[in-house]
Amino acid sequence: MGWFKIRHKGIGQVAYVFQRLSGLVIVFYLYLHLFVLSNLLRGQVTYNQIVSSITYGPDDLFVVFDVLLALVIFYHGANGLRLALNEMGIGLKHNKLFFFLFEGIAMVALIIFLYYAWQFIAVG
Amino acid sequence: MATGTKSLLSGSLKEGKYVFIILRTDAKGKQSYATYEVPRDKVSTVLEGLQYIENNIDRTLAVRYSCRMEICGSCGMEINGRPRMACSTIISNLHTDTLKIEPLKHYKVVRDLVVDMEPFFEKYREVKPFIIRDDDGVYKSELKQTPEQFEEYEKYSMCIKCGLCLAACPIEGTDPDYIGPAALAGVLRYNLDSRDQGKKYRLDIINGEEGTARCHFIGECSEACPKDVDPSFAIQILRVQGLKHEISKIFRRSD
Repeated sequence: MGWFKIRHKGIGQVAYVFQRLSGLVIVFYLYLHLFVLSNLLRGQVTYNQIVSSITYGPDDLFVVFDVLLALVIFYHGANGLRLALNEMGIGLKHNKLFFFLFEGIAMVALIIFLYYAWQFIAVG
Repeated sequence: MATGTKSLLSGSLKEGKYVFIILRTDAKGKQSYATYEVPRDKVSTVLEGLQYIENNIDRTLAVRYSCRMEICGSCGMEINGRPRMACSTIISNLHTDTLKIEPLKHYKVVRDLVVDMEPFFEKYREVKPFIIRDDDGVYKSELKQTPEQFEEYEKYSMCIKCGLCLAACPIEGTDPDYIGPAALAGVLRYNLDSRDQGKKYRLDIINGEEGTARCHFIGECSEACPKDVDPSFAIQILRVQGLKHEISKIFRRSD
């Protein structure tokens, strides 16, 4: 687990650690999502009951998880895009600046996304 | 002699002393921390501190060093959590009187602060770090090179093979077969050399699973490099070279 350490490390290591962790979260979510969706095979009524029981808890805790998931996806996507560009030789000399720029744009996009998502949920 | 860490740190430190906390490894591989006090007015660098300990306190301390001026690459070690050269690390620049010194990570420890560098050199040899020519090697005069051509690869030729980059690389910690930043920077050094014609041979070696594909551009190797070789940047350049090489192989006419 030596890769997990960020103490005494640069921003590159921090970006890498969070990229790995967010990747694991996304993979976990993918399997969870597929598992939930597979309940469609049990019929629409059963599926709706299962989804309702998950998404409408006593404190709407699931909404918090959704926000955290969105944060993870936006972070992972933006950092992944930066790395893809790096591998094509783009932005190599200003790598740290690119990281902050891409993540900054991702966080702004996330806020806009959450705003419209909240509108959708509120209407629903 | 070495004293217990707790007894030194729990009470007030004696003025005018540095505290060296060193991870020792005995012949059987058993590890433990030993603590030494070194007078501030006798030493300025970490290596001088270790030499002071070796000469005046504990002659059993094993340390590898040679030039004492950051050229030979021998004295790499973990100093307060980061891989550094002991000879060029000035203690006052660390802004602490307590130094935690450990052998380089990702290397097998031979004894105390001495690690086995052979796997590092093996990886370096693997990438053909020498001028390769496709001719018969018989020349009427030397292979000339302009200053501009030299500047193309000069930075990457500064590597002193200290191994700090491998110690800093988190990928090396999870995959010891990864060729590593030093060897890959060495590849770029020769690939950019105008006298060299061996680029294709080296790219075939490093385009594999344990080559440039393993790098995630974390940049810790460049942070650790004492000679500013910037191996993480070199690896990204090699990726582009490697990609072009693979594409050209597809379109190359067969003889």
